[in-house]
Amino acid sequence: MAANLEAVPEGRTRLVKSREEAFEALFKSEYARVAGIANRVLADPHEAEDVAQEVFINFHRLHSASAPFAPAWLHRAAAHTALNRVRGRRRREKRELAQAPEEASRTVDPQQMLEVGEDRRVVRAALARLAPKPAAVLVLRASGLSYAEVAQALGVGTGQIGTLLRRAEAALRKEVTRGSSI
Amino acid sequence: MFDDPDALTSSDRQHYAGCAGCQARYAGMADDARAVATLLAAPDLQPDVASAFKRVQSAPAAKPRFGFSLPILRPSSRPMFVGVAAAAVALAVVATAFANVLPLFQPKTVEPVPVTVADIQSLSALSEYGTLTWSTQPQPKIVLSAADAEAIAGFKAPAAGYLPSTMSKTITYAAMPKAVAVFTFDAGKAATAAAQTGQSLPKLPKGMDGSKLTVTVGPAIVEVYGKMNASSSSDASSQQINVPELVIGESAAPQVTSTQVTTKQLEDYILSIPGLSKDLKAALKAIGDPTSTLIIPVPIQYATSTSVTVQGVKGVAVGDNTGLGSGVIWIKGHVFAVVGPLKQIEVVKIANGLKS
Repeated sequence: MAANLEAVPEGRTRLVKSREEAFEALFKSEYARVAGIANRVLADPHEAEDVAQEVFINFHRLHSASAPFAPAWLHRAAAHTALNRVRGRRRREKRELAQAPEEASRTVDPQQMLEVGEDRRVVRAALARLAPKPAAVLVLRASGLSYAEVAQALGVGTGQIGTLLRRAEAALRKEVTRGSSI
Repeated sequence: MFDDPDALTSSDRQHYAGCAGCQARYAGMADDARAVATLLAAPDLQPDVASAFKRVQSAPAAKPRFGFSLPILRPSSRPMFVGVAAAAVALAVVATAFANVLPLFQPKTVEPVPVTVADIQSLSALSEYGTLTWSTQPQPKIVLSAADAEAIAGFKAPAAGYLPSTMSKTITYAAMPKAVAVFTFDAGKAATAAAQTGQSLPKLPKGMDGSKLTVTVGPAIVEVYGKMNASSSSDASSQQINVPELVIGESAAPQVTSTQVTTKQLEDYILSIPGLSKDLKAALKAIGDPTSTLIIPVPIQYATSTSVTVQGVKGVAVGDNTGLGSGVIWIKGHVFAVVGPLKQIEVVKIANGLKS
């Protein structure tokens, strides 16, 4: 009887431990990639890591790390969360633009840095104006995911990725041109 | 072709070599692809995985919740959700009130009743007339398989015999063991609520103060078709609304038992609440056997309802006015529901093919 009573907590501890271990393994194998996807959208390594951690925390709250859909979920959530941050950035952008000359003065080539920053801003704004699926296709593929991985993350057939990607590339170029001329 | 030139077959290559149209199209696509690769260049990222993991570990503990959010659960919709929840409790009370034979309600069939937003608001005031406590908390859980759901609910998960060919093969299972709520009428609280709203709400009948209604719901299993997991963005403000392709639910029929309150008292009381539409009052009065009828509130401004036969029993099909979605509810031992952004005819077909 005593042995039975003790067996339950031990079993639970083991279960919790194995869940934590599974999450740690998932984190270690996917963190760099998830942060990379966010960085591709945000062009800001610090903010990208914030997003990656937020994505993992949310995943851990919702799902088991051993779920077969875990990597696909993380990739998609990273792209969408980062894109949402860009969409919500407008107010902050004004502040950053006001600070830009001050920051640029500390760099080796202020003019070049300013231009690079402005180009990135225009591209990210254009990316955020695309519909969610094309934007995610571009970001995931540019982050090094295979067609199959992009398809899994977005829940579409692998055969559709080539077409989606080509259309999204054309759409982004058009948006960037539009954004630059505004 | 641009990403993987080796993917071309020899016949494709031959065609390409002689087709100016294909060559021009390829040149355009390749140009787009190269331009986008440059546009999406990002600064170097060298993540410190170990310290990032420590930060994530120190985040608040995990707790189970549904892996997706319906539009109704978004923060901006909270008041509406609270209203609907309150209305659900109120309707359980209404159901009991009309169980004029025994203080026991255990539905065996379904009946639609028309409700307006004003009705919901009026009925939801009822929830202010007492205290709702859960003697057994509802504990819905997302599980990985039908077997896990069955272990929680204690009955076999419903299996769809017919599904439209376009339906997703991904099913998210959720299950909930039995939950028990106790609603205790409180004269003091009722008076305060009435005073706060400024409405002249009816006084609680004598002897009703302190009386209890026990509402038992579940166990239940819900199956959600669609890529809900993949699309449940981690950002609550996401603009992506994840609409399930189909939801199938099975639950033990709810039961309401009453102590002290006579059904006549409750019936009179509910019908005296100001603001209830004549249609709702008439529909409630017209219910044939209230002890065994589950009332399905149909918001008449937004939805329509029709009677259908499902698996040989009477069911209620509800559709929104735009034709974008429909659902069917029926009782055959348990309460079943099939809901989705589909035509009513499809939903009924799925319902008829359900094996439980």
